[in-house]
Amino acid sequence: MSLLEIFDPKARPSPIGIDLGTTNSLVARVRDGKPTVIADCNGERMVPSVVHYDARGAVVVGRSAQRLAASHPRETIVSVKRFVGRGAADPETRRLGPYEFAEPTTPEEAKSVRFKVRGRSLTPVEVSAEILKELRVSAERDLRSVGGVVITVPAYFDDAQRQATKDAGRLAGLEVLRLLNEPTAAALAYGLDQKQNGLFAVYDLGGGTFDITVLLLDSGVFQVKSTGGDSALGGDDMDRALAERLLGEMGATGHREAGSEGSPDAPRAAPVAPEVVRLALDLAREVKHRLTDAAQVEVEVPIQGSQATKLVTVTRDDFNALIAPLVERTGVACRRALRDAGVKAGDLDGVILVGGSTRVPYVREYVAKLFGKEPLGDIDPDEVVALGAAIQADILAGANDRSDEVLLLDVLPLSLGIETMGGVAEKVLPRNTTIPAGARQTFTTYADNQTGFDLHIVQGERELAADCRSLARFTLKGIPPMPAGMARLEVTFRVDADGLLGVTAREQTTGVEQKVEVKPSYGLTDEQVEDMLLAALDHGEEDLERRRLVEARVEGERVAMATRKALAADGDLLEPGEREAIEGALAALAAAIRGDRASLIQGRTEALDDATHAWAGRRMDRAVAHAIAGKRIGDVEAEVAAAKGVDQHVEEHQAGARGQDAAEIAPAIIEERR
Amino acid sequence: MTDPFATLGLEPRFDLDLRAAEQRHRDLSRALHPDRYTGAPAAERRLALNRAIEVNEAWRVLRDPIRRADALLARAGVETREDAAPKPSPALLMDILESREELSSAAKRRDLGKVAALGEAMRAREQRTLAAVAAGLDGAGGDAGKIRAVLPWLGELRYYRRFLDEVSTIEEDLAEAQ
Repeated sequence: MSLLEIFDPKARPSPIGIDLGTTNSLVARVRDGKPTVIADCNGERMVPSVVHYDARGAVVVGRSAQRLAASHPRETIVSVKRFVGRGAADPETRRLGPYEFAEPTTPEEAKSVRFKVRGRSLTPVEVSAEILKELRVSAERDLRSVGGVVITVPAYFDDAQRQATKDAGRLAGLEVLRLLNEPTAAALAYGLDQKQNGLFAVYDLGGGTFDITVLLLDSGVFQVKSTGGDSALGGDDMDRALAERLLGEMGATGHREAGSEGSPDAPRAAPVAPEVVRLALDLAREVKHRLTDAAQVEVEVPIQGSQATKLVTVTRDDFNALIAPLVERTGVACRRALRDAGVKAGDLDGVILVGGSTRVPYVREYVAKLFGKEPLGDIDPDEVVALGAAIQADILAGANDRSDEVLLLDVLPLSLGIETMGGVAEKVLPRNTTIPAGARQTFTTYADNQTGFDLHIVQGERELAADCRSLARFTLKGIPPMPAGMARLEVTFRVDADGLLGVTAREQTTGVEQKVEVKPSYGLTDEQVEDMLLAALDHGEEDLERRRLVEARVEGERVAMATRKALAADGDLLEPGEREAIEGALAALAAAIRGDRASLIQGRTEALDDATHAWAGRRMDRAVAHAIAGKRIGDVEAEVAAAKGVDQHVEEHQAGARGQDAAEIAPAIIEERR
Repeated sequence: MTDPFATLGLEPRFDLDLRAAEQRHRDLSRALHPDRYTGAPAAERRLALNRAIEVNEAWRVLRDPIRRADALLARAGVETREDAAPKPSPALLMDILESREELSSAAKRRDLGKVAALGEAMRAREQRTLAAVAAGLDGAGGDAGKIRAVLPWLGELRYYRRFLDEVSTIEEDLAEAQ
C-alpha cells in the first residue's frame, strides 16, 4: 500500500466479504486482483464467533470471549448462528446448551428467541452484529475506508434467517451489498482460481449448518442447478453427541435439555450446571479435533460431586459410530439435490469440500463413497467462503475487470407458498427456482359475502402449512360482498437476488383494487433495528445525521458516476432534450453534494433518477438486443445497429455473417435457424 | 403472463432446442442480472430486476414441456386453465388407476425392480404423448382449432407426471431404507 493511499482522506471505500460462520468468522478483501483474508490486530485470520457480555456492560468478541466461555457460560454466546432467525419455540434453540432464555410476552416477541444475559434480553441479530462489528474494525484497520459488504449465509437458510443476517449487517453499521450463499461463494473462489469448467458439487459441512449445492461452471457463469441441506446440522452436533457421552462418564446425568420431554411421572434429576455443560462441549470439540490425526485420544474429565478425575479413552471408531447417524443425514440431502438437478453422481467433474467439519476423516470417506470420487482437497475449507465473498463484493462494487465476465446465478433453497383451504400449502415458487424470481397466483373466496382474505405465507416442502415455516400473515380487507368464488385475489411473490421475499396482494374484480405489501418478519421490525442503531451510536441523533450525510453523498456520487459512464457509452440513445435535462440534474446534484444537507442530496439524486428513467429503459433494450445477438459490448457498429431494433440488428448480423467470418456470429441465431 | 418466447427472443415452437434456449437465458442474465446494476440509479435497478425476473420466469416456463405447451396455447388465444380443460377419458383414468395400484403394491413389497419398470413404462408413454403434442402444436400452422386439439394430451401428461413423481418418491424412500 502506498503512502498516498494511506493518507488520502478521500480514499475510495473498499468492498469486503464476510464469512459469518457458526464457529469462526472471517473477513476478506481483494487486493491487486487476488482475494486475501484480513488478519485482526493479533494476526489472527479467524475470529471465533463467540460474544461475551461483561459485568460493566462491555462486549468482548472472539478469542478473548472464548476464554471467558468456561467461567461465564451464560454470559458468553457461542454459535449464535444456530439461533439466527429462529422463534422462541423452535426446537433447535432448546438443545444441549448452557443458555438462559427470556420468556416471550407477546406473539410478536415469540418470533425471535432472546438470550437472557445479565438482566438484558438479547436477540441473535444483536449478538451477530457484535461479531460483524469486530470484523469491520479489523477491515478498517487494513483498508481505512470500508465500502459495501457481501455477507455469506448457508444456502439452506430460509427467508427469516436471511433477513435476520441482513439486519445484523445493518446493525453493525455495514452497507450490505448482497447476501451470498456459502457454497456458491466457495465455488466462485475455487472456480476463478482453477479456471475449470464443468459440473461440481459443493459439500459444505460447517459448525452448525449443512449445504449441498450442485452447480455448473461455464466460462464465468456459476449457475446453481440445485441446492439442499439442513440448517441445523454441523460439527456442533458431533460435539454434542460426544459431550453426552463425556457427561455420562463424569456422572453428570441430570436433566440437561431445556424443554426436553420425558414422562411427567419420572423424577427429574437436578439440572447440570451450565459450567459443566460448557466444559463437556469444549472437551468434546478438542477430542474431535485430535481424532483427525490420531486413532485414539485420552481425555481427563472431572467426576461430578468429587475432586477426582477420570481418564476416558475415545477411539476414532467410537467417534465414527457416534456421528454416523448425523453424517448419513447429509447423504439424504445430497441424493435429493442430485435428483433435483437432473444429474447423477457420475456426471460430476468434482466434489468441493467446504467447512471445518469436512476435516473429519469419516466425513471425507463418506463423501468419497457417496459421490464415487475423491473430493478435491486443494482448497482451504476454512477460508474459501470468505475469499469468494470478497470476490463477489469486488465485482458488485464494479471495481474489477472481471465484473463483465463473472455472473452468479443462484436459486431459492426452499419452496415458497401460501396456505389454502384445509391448511394445505400451495407452492407459488418451487425450490431451486433461479433468483431473482417472481410468480403470480390467483385465489378466490370460499364463502358468500366474504369481505376479507386472510393470507398466510409459508416456506418449506411439507404438504401442510402448519409443518412449514410461517413467514407472514396478513389480511386483505375491503372486498365488496359477492357470492363465493367470484372475487379474484391476485397474489404476487417476488424474490430478489438476496433470496428475500416480498409479497403483494390485490383484489381485482369490481374495479376495486386493494394493495397490501408485506415483508416477512422474524421478530424485529425495521424501526426496532433503526432504534438499536441509534442507541449504539455515541452521540445518537448527531452521529446518525452525519452518517446519513455520508451515505447520501456516497449514493449521489455513485449514481452520478454511473450516469456519466452511461452518457459516454449510450449517448446515442438520448432523445432530444434528454441530454440537457440530465446534464442539468447532474450539475444540481453536484452542487448539493458540495453542501451538507442529506435530504437535498437525496432529493436531487432522485431527480437525476427521474431524468434518466426513460433512457435507462432504452439502454436495457439495447443490452437485451446485444445478449440475443450474442455480441460483446464495445462493438460500436453493433451498438448502433442494436439501437435500431432487435430484428433489424439480427438481420444485419446474419447478412454480414454470410460473407465473412462465420465464427463471429451468434451461435444462438444459428441454432434457431436450423 | 408475458410471452416467454418473446422474452427470450426465441421462435415459438414446442420442439425447442433446450440447449440453445438455456444459453439464451444465460446470455440475457448476463445483461440483466441485478449484480450488473448495483451502482445504477434506483429506478434503473428496479427496471433491471423486473426484467431479470421475467427472463428467469420465461426460462422456467419453456424448460417444462407442459408449461411450454400452455404458453403456445396462450399465444393462440386458447384458454388453458385447468378447469377449462376437457375431462380425461374414462379409459385413461382406469389405466392410471391400475398402474397406481400396481405401484403401491410393488412399494409395499419393496420391489425396487418392479417400481423402476413401472416408471420406465410410464416414461415411454410420456414420450409418445410429448411427440404427439409436438406434432400437433408445431404442425398447426397457427390454427387455433388444431392447437386446441392437444388439450386432452396435456391432461394426460399431467397424470403421467404425478405418477412419475410418485415413482421417484418411492424410489427415494426405498433407497433410504436400505
